This record gives sequence, structure tokens and C-alpha cells, in this order.
Amino acid sequence: MSKIFICCWLLLSSSDIFSQGVDEDLIKMRQRLDSVLSFQVNLQLETDISFVNMPVKRALMRWEKGKAVQFTSKDFILLPKRGLDFSLRTLFEYPFVTLVRGETTQQGQTIKEINVIPADRRADFSIATIWLNTGLRRVEAAEISTQRDGTYFLQMHYRLPKDIFPDRVAVKFEIEKIKIPLNFMGKGTQVDKEKLKADGMKSGKIFLNMSDYLIRMIGS
Amino acid sequence: MKRLLIAECFKLFRQSKTYYAIASILIIEGIILISAYFEGTNIINLLLDNLRKTFYFNGSLLNGNLLQYLVLNTLWFHLPLIIMIVVSGMLTAEYKDKTVQTVLLQPVRKWQWILSKYIVAIGFTVVMVGLLFLTSYWLCRGFFGEGDLVVYLDGLSFFPAAEAATRIQWSFLAGTISMVFFAVSSLTLAVILKDVTKTWIVSALFLIICNVLLKIDLGTAWLNQYALVKLNDTWQYFFQYEIPFRIILLNWIVSVFYISIIAAVGIFIFHKRDIG
Repeated sequence: MSKIFICCWLLLSSSDIFSQGVDEDLIKMRQRLDSVLSFQVNLQLETDISFVNMPVKRALMRWEKGKAVQFTSKDFILLPKRGLDFSLRTLFEYPFVTLVRGETTQQGQTIKEINVIPADRRADFSIATIWLNTGLRRVEAAEISTQRDGTYFLQMHYRLPKDIFPDRVAVKFEIEKIKIPLNFMGKGTQVDKEKLKADGMKSGKIFLNMSDYLIRMIGS
Repeated sequence: MKRLLIAECFKLFRQSKTYYAIASILIIEGIILISAYFEGTNIINLLLDNLRKTFYFNGSLLNGNLLQYLVLNTLWFHLPLIIMIVVSGMLTAEYKDKTVQTVLLQPVRKWQWILSKYIVAIGFTVVMVGLLFLTSYWLCRGFFGEGDLVVYLDGLSFFPAAEAATRIQWSFLAGTISMVFFAVSSLTLAVILKDVTKTWIVSALFLIICNVLLKIDLGTAWLNQYALVKLNDTWQYFFQYEIPFRIILLNWIVSVFYISIIAAVGIFIFHKRDIG
């Protein structure tokens, strides 16, 4: 009898894994982000891709709740598909479940590693891992595997403990090396077929530096 | 010498073929500009295809700077062809009309007379490239505005609008030296061949060979850098992300040396040869 009881208890407790909701700390962090109605920030973009030479670019970024992010710049700018969504709206757009992978302590702060798994086919990512600072209720890092655009790793840096948005973000991504038809190439551009084959995917980085935030929050 | 130069300028700008040449350049430029506008979108799509998966783009790259760069890319074949026809005609027409004998029966030194032709040919070439620069600058920016320039040279390079404009100006200067090289070569060919048609054919052949050899590996690094035909692409160096000024300066010095040698050969042959 007791064996049956233990078996039933184990079965019920293990089924909890499959019927998981959303981690409480993540909900708190999300609530904090949801309190932001709009923000505006000056953006500086530095590109670090082996086959792309681009000077530092500047833009003005504006976001308003319920609307897409807008950029204004007199230059041509490359904007990473991930990394500028500070509100992580795209991750939480459709139903999802979370799985806590563990906790670590960094500089006296508890960092929780959480997997976000979409529960809706419409989500454009397959899995995301978020490193959440539970005390300060903000994301320290995130790895997002998208359906079509590869995997992105975001590392956030905040100026002050109270800051809701980062002042620096490093976005790491994988990118296929560019292949240009021979007839378009200029002088000094020689095709090393072996090198080209070996190259395959390259990893690139883009560094975003933010300054002069203007944040409007609920109640402000 | 001054009078000879004035006389050569007068002859050059009196003949209708000079104006035909200028009109041809402007027509070709217009055609290239229109095709570059339509081709420009494809080129940008091709260049940015890989980046499109990772990035959103903000701003337009199809602008006056890109179109002027595409015009530059295309015109370095058409422009020397027309310049060579006009410049070689400066001498072959004199042979054909026998005016060379009339002139040289006057108290004129042969070497001075032919030298004045070389100087006027160089001046004409500079004016033509200048005209091309100004017209392409106004047309491209007037119709398509300014903006960042994207170029593929050992990777994708993006240049801000002001920097791109400066690089384009420098590349026109580098292109002028190449055009002078072709102009001087065609005049030397005219000295050697005398006949109008033969000179045109050989000049065109020379131009084609130069363009073909430009893209062929000549085997050694030295030849690939300093062979006569390899110097005609020096203008492209201004679109490398870090401009190799030392290499450009060396190329220019070597180009001027080649131009001087080719001109000297022409003057020497003309001076030694009987007028007949």
C-alpha cells in the first residue's frame, strides 16, 4: 500500500515538471519591464565582423508600449535583429513555460538561469536562456535560439544597480561569410576557394552603447 | 613653344570630333547612370544578403555616392577608348592631310612640335576627366542625394557620405593618371603607325590587352604591383578601408615614369624619322 502511495506521490510530483508555469522571478522582472510606457535613448553601434568594415554609427532609438521600435539616423545603420528589444517583448509575446536550470552568485547577487520555452507555434524562437538577477529584477545575459535567424547571445551591462535598462549590450551572433560573384570583385580581391570552404559560419559581435535615456514609467 | 601649344589647342577645339567625343562621354555617362540605378538595387541586395539574416537595415545605400562609384567602375574602359581616338587623331589627321609637312617646313623644331601635342593631349585628358567628375557629381547627387557608400573590396566596407565623396574625388585623380597613360600611349602609337585606322585598331587592342591583363595574375608580386597594366586600377585603392597611401604614391611615381618613357619614345622616333 505504502509502495503504491509513494509511486503515486512520485508520479504526481514529477508531472509538475511538465505542467510548469512561469518562474516567479521572471514574472517580477517582466512586471518591472511592463511598467515602462516608453523610452528614448541615444545609441552608438560598433560592429565587429571579420568581413565587415564599418565605422561607429549613431542613432536615436524610440520605443513606445505596443508599438515597434523606431530608429532615426542620418547614416546607414545595421541593427541586430536581437539585442535591441530591451523589454524582451518578443520572448513574452506568446504563451511560454520556463525551466529553472540553477542559480549562481556573482558579486553578491543571485543569478538565476532560466530556460524559456515557447508554448505557441507562432513564437519565432525555439528556446531562450535568461540569466536573471533576482535581486535587481533585470536580465544580465540571454541566449536566444531563433527559428530562422540563428542563435544570439546578449550580454548586458548596467551603469547603476537601480537601472532598468542597460547602458551597454554586446550581441554575439553567427553569420555566414559573404560570397560575391567573381565579376563583381575589384582589385586585390582574390578568391581563395579552400579558405572560403573552410570559413563556413563566422561569429560576429555588435556592441551597443546607450546614453541619455528618457524613460516614462507608469505613475511617473 | 607657347605658340605651338596655343596652335595645338586651337586645332583640337576647332575640330568637330572633339565635341563628338565630349558628347559621346556624356551620353555614355547618362546610360551608365540609368543602368547603375537599376543595377544598384541588385548589387546592394547581393552584397547585403548574408547580413539580412542577422540585421535590420536603417537608411538607404542606393544614393549618389554608390551611383558615382558604379559610374567610375564602368567608365574606365569607355573613357580611354574615346580619349585615344581623339588624341591619336591629333597626329594621324595631320599625316593624312599632309599638314605635318607644311608645318615642319616652317621654322619649327620637330621635337618641340610633337612635344606640344603630348602636352595638349595630357591637358585634354585632364579636362575630360574633370568634366566627367563634375557631371557625374552633379547628376548623381542631384538626382539621388547623398548617403553612405558600400563597397566590396576584401570584405564589405561602409563609408560615411562625406568620406565617400572625398574618396571618390581622390579616385578621379588616380583615374586621371591612368587616362593620361592611355592618351600618351595612343599618341606614341600614332607616331609609329601614322595611319588613322591602323592607330585606332592598335590603340583599341592595347586598351583591351591592358584590361585583360589587369585581371590576370602575372606570377610575381612585383609584376602584379608595378607592371604597366596593373597600375591602371590604382583608383580602387581609395576604396580600401585603410587607404594604402604609400602604395598609391609609389604607383603614381611608377605611372609617371612609364608615361614619361612612352612619351620620350614617341618624341624620339618622330624626331629621328623623315617627314614623308
